[in-house]
Amino acid sequence: MIRDFEYFAPKTLEEALSLLDKYRETCKVISGGQSLLKLMRAGLITPQYLIDIKGMSELDYIKSEGKNGLKIGALTTHRAIEESPMIQNGFSTLVEMERILAFIQIRNWGTIGGNLCHADPAQDPAPVLMALNAKLRASSLKGERTIAIEDFFTDYLKTALEPNELLTEIQVPAVPPHTGTAYTKFNIIENDLAIVGVAVSITLSSGTDVCQDVRIALGASAPTPMRAKGAEGVLRGKKVTDDLLTEAGEKASAEAEPLSDINASAEYRRQLVKILVKRMGKEALTRAKQA
Amino acid sequence: MKKELRLTVNGEAHELYVKPKSLLMDVLRDQLGLIGAKRSCDTNTCGACTVILNGMAVHSCSILALQANGGEVLTVEGLAKKTELHPLQKAFLDYGSVQCGFCTPGMLMSAKALLDKNPTPTKEQIKEAIDGNLCRCTGYNSIVRAITAVVNGEYKEEK
Amino acid sequence: MSDYSVIGKRVRRVDGTEKVTGNAEYTFDLVLPNMLYGKILRSPHPHAKIINIDTTPAEKMIGVKAVVTGKDTFGRKNGVWRRFSELCDEEMICRTKVRYVGDGVAAVAAIDEDTAEEACQLIKVEYEELPATFDPLEAIKEDAPQIHEGVELNINVTRHIEWGDVDEAFKHCDHIREDQFKTSSQHHVCMETHNAVASFDYNGKLTVWTSTQASYYMQRLLADMLDLRESDIRVIKPHTGGGFGSKFELDSAQFCASLLSMKLCRPVKIVFTRAEEFTATKRRTPMYYFVKLGAKKDGTFLAKEVRVLTEGGAYTGMGATALYLTGFFSSFPYKYPNYRYDGYRVYTNTAPTSACRGFGAPQSTFVGESQIDMLADDLGIDPIEIRRKNGMTPDYEVPGQAHILSCELHQCLDKTEEQIKQRGKLPPNHGIGIACYGFMSGGIFNWFDTPYAFSSAIVRINIDGKVDLFTGACEIGQGSDTTLSMICAEELGVRLEDIRIYSGDTGICPPDLGAWGSRETLMNGNAVRMAAADAKRQLMAVAAGKLGANIVYDLDMKDRWFHLVNRPERGFSYYDIVKQAIRGNDGEAIIGRGHYTPHRKGMISPAYSFGVQAVEVEVDPETGRYKLLNVSTAHGSGKVINPVGIEGQLEGAIMMAGGYGLCEDQPMDKGKILNPSFDDYKLIRSLDMPETKILKIESYEPEGPFGAKEAGEGLTNPTAGAIGNAIYKAVGVRINDLPITPEKVFRALREKEKQGK
Repeated sequence: MIRDFEYFAPKTLEEALSLLDKYRETCKVISGGQSLLKLMRAGLITPQYLIDIKGMSELDYIKSEGKNGLKIGALTTHRAIEESPMIQNGFSTLVEMERILAFIQIRNWGTIGGNLCHADPAQDPAPVLMALNAKLRASSLKGERTIAIEDFFTDYLKTALEPNELLTEIQVPAVPPHTGTAYTKFNIIENDLAIVGVAVSITLSSGTDVCQDVRIALGASAPTPMRAKGAEGVLRGKKVTDDLLTEAGEKASAEAEPLSDINASAEYRRQLVKILVKRMGKEALTRAKQA
Repeated sequence: MKKELRLTVNGEAHELYVKPKSLLMDVLRDQLGLIGAKRSCDTNTCGACTVILNGMAVHSCSILALQANGGEVLTVEGLAKKTELHPLQKAFLDYGSVQCGFCTPGMLMSAKALLDKNPTPTKEQIKEAIDGNLCRCTGYNSIVRAITAVVNGEYKEEK
Repeated sequence: MSDYSVIGKRVRRVDGTEKVTGNAEYTFDLVLPNMLYGKILRSPHPHAKIINIDTTPAEKMIGVKAVVTGKDTFGRKNGVWRRFSELCDEEMICRTKVRYVGDGVAAVAAIDEDTAEEACQLIKVEYEELPATFDPLEAIKEDAPQIHEGVELNINVTRHIEWGDVDEAFKHCDHIREDQFKTSSQHHVCMETHNAVASFDYNGKLTVWTSTQASYYMQRLLADMLDLRESDIRVIKPHTGGGFGSKFELDSAQFCASLLSMKLCRPVKIVFTRAEEFTATKRRTPMYYFVKLGAKKDGTFLAKEVRVLTEGGAYTGMGATALYLTGFFSSFPYKYPNYRYDGYRVYTNTAPTSACRGFGAPQSTFVGESQIDMLADDLGIDPIEIRRKNGMTPDYEVPGQAHILSCELHQCLDKTEEQIKQRGKLPPNHGIGIACYGFMSGGIFNWFDTPYAFSSAIVRINIDGKVDLFTGACEIGQGSDTTLSMICAEELGVRLEDIRIYSGDTGICPPDLGAWGSRETLMNGNAVRMAAADAKRQLMAVAAGKLGANIVYDLDMKDRWFHLVNRPERGFSYYDIVKQAIRGNDGEAIIGRGHYTPHRKGMISPAYSFGVQAVEVEVDPETGRYKLLNVSTAHGSGKVINPVGIEGQLEGAIMMAGGYGLCEDQPMDKGKILNPSFDDYKLIRSLDMPETKILKIESYEPEGPFGAKEAGEGLTNPTAGAIGNAIYKAVGVRINDLPITPEKVFRALREKEKQGK
């Protein structure tokens, strides 16, 4: 059962930040609420105050700023990202990711900010944003700061946000030329939460097969979404071959810290990481050559 | 402390007072007597509570009523026009897409939301539209066939 | 057969418009004046003594009106196998001991659900934890904790079925296979959870509205548990959101709501949460199978020996039947000259296992069909050929057990073979697997110990020609209201829209054992047909008089027209006959009565359905993940009364049976179910659902109304086995324990690679 709480629906960011500053640990911020209300219904979270920011349209936007990249307001819904021609044209992996995220009802109401702040390592957006080298903007009454996405997740269901901070914007840098990005997740039921998720982004040196830069991000393979930096090191600066991708997969598999649960054993998850890193590496490579 | 909620439901404007923790589904069912939307899970995964809010299919069990303040809601009770069933309702009946019926209101609303936005969906898009609606009785395919029949113009809506 | 006016036609279900408009009221929706809400407090331990319960903090809470514990019950024990008191072993609110995580210990009635839930959390229960046992292989050992007093080795029920001489026959086999299998738990996952609204009035009469498959069973069992006279209880079944075998036993929802209402003389409503549904209602029986199958080298089966240990859970429920049926259907649908089955149902400290669509046959079919494919592979015989060679045929006697009248197995095999040929050459990593099955159309047994006919119906023809049909049969989504109305209309000679059906209300409908064991079409259909024929006979008498025909048998009525069979243009309108009949009957409406109880129909069922299913899968050999691509089913259900209904059952069964094969399970940790939500209990959704094809089979079952027999459960039997066989065909690995998860396939493939096969 959900316990009673005092409810605020701030209309401006300023208002919201003041409330956050006042109530801090005694309050929770609700945007879509689809993760939060589940926890509240189970009695796992019982906030005294709820700050409802879902109606704050000033945080609902998608802006393409050319070489300054993409700026997505934290309250942008998954569905809006999925259907955005702007995002499809240049950051299409985000669209592909949203298309396989849960169900339409969830995507219609849930927000990208809410998703990231819930910080479940199995969720889809984080690995893709990691592969895209995103940064997150956190705001408080004191001002703003930018957090690199790999520094955003501190532990299972925990983020680097201070109790008086709100995630307000997701910043995705412009994609360098000759870059390809791909994401997939492993599940038994279509679009179900990832048993393992893998996103890979490869940038090739112009006109070659040599990997100039690479990011490999894993979901559901550790307490937080993680970068497989060892695997990246296998590829960076080298000609990307099938064998090298196999090696990268093995390295990623070794770096991952998956758990065993009712859906899969840790060992199986490691094997899936190996297989999917190679598959997504191949796909990213193909896309990089076409870019 | 209760707060004011203004909601237009199936074309009718309502002024209500609700506890902040009230869910949209509870307000529709308990205060407005619209029992079509059902609860079948505790985790926002079954879709039996699906209604259309501001043109989008949503899980009404997972939205605080106050979050819908000022919005427009369409429920299954708003599909038929007086005594004339909506084409989707007729198709569901003809294609055997209803058995126990518990998931049916939610299914219909997911289908309606799809067709309102995209009157010519592919089969894959139809399946996607109802993927968030669990059904234990029909095996989904008859529901897909019913929606396809409407898409193909088998049921001309009476004006 | 001559053409029919109503049956066999594609019709809209009679309860369809309420459902598509949102007007259908389920127990879930019911609100009565002065109603309270109840919640049940359940044990967190798998096995413990109850030392003390302090309910005062809950009783003191504002809004709480009553709290009950074991001392407030009548000290009775509940069980569906009423003839055997030792199998009536469940208290539902425990007095001295809890036996599984979820066993009830107290219930609260309050002004709203939240208050009731909070009050439950305030009740202080002092437990003394006892050692617990969770697996039947462990529970059956000498040193295992004893779960029920006096039950040695926790062996709850045993079953033995035998004919011929298997030991002798094995000596003459050219090839013998011995294999072990394990089948999993599965939950029914009705979309409407268990619930009840109970209202006890000041005259000592109880009315219960509940989502149920068997209102008569509810009535009788509540009478047993509450020390009330059966007829002082009225059970009403509103629209019901699914049953699948979970809702024909008395459960804690009806019991606790009734008990609380009896303390207050106010209505009390209890609705299970989904988590409660998963953990505190009964589920499919997991089983360990040890099977020995012997054949000649040409594939002729000579002997089959089956030993089964089932995980009974904490209480018997209908688990004894599942034990029996799994043993019987292990011999289906083939001719085994020698057969032996020994089954043991073992108590464990887990949620009780009971009836679940297929009732032991999905388990036995998975095992049997897997093993037959393995044997066929060993002998180098085509899987369809070996089944043809041994398959049952019409008019076959299963020694001492059953007489099979109609049997469409061979037509089904032929059609399936044709279908597979049409598919042509398969791409790599694709495989098609088949499985054969048979199932009963209702059971002949009466361990419920009812004195009533198994099915009864009353037809009342009113002055305006409209027909009221009263039946205890329960519509749970499977379409019985429609099918029975169709049978009534056809027999009477009127149209479907002339029938209004009242079902599942013990206050006004004659008893029926309920919608389980796939019995409604055959058993209640026969009762309805008899009642309609009875009413028609009374009208015929009047019509004969008017027409002056020689004997009544020259007459018939079709589509509201009484006529001479040889001269159909000579006749009278149904409406005129009805008016005259009623006037001639002292102004009394015409009443027809019907009933059906199978007599001398063998040990199991009066009739059996048969079928063959083929499943095509595509396997990803690297990860082990596989997709269900196509499923074709040829199902012989005799004369098809309600084609839309049968197609619905067929396709729907694939969702459930496919899930049984692919992804549904209830893993536990020390008796605690780990996935009591749809997040973690995986189910097939529309994007996962394969393409389905129904291969039409025409046949006729003499025992059934107009030749019809079951089409509700048989279809759940083959899919898991067909999936297993398909995966083997695709990538050469076999999984012997359900569900067949990608991880298991992955491990098997890597193992196979290691062995360099």
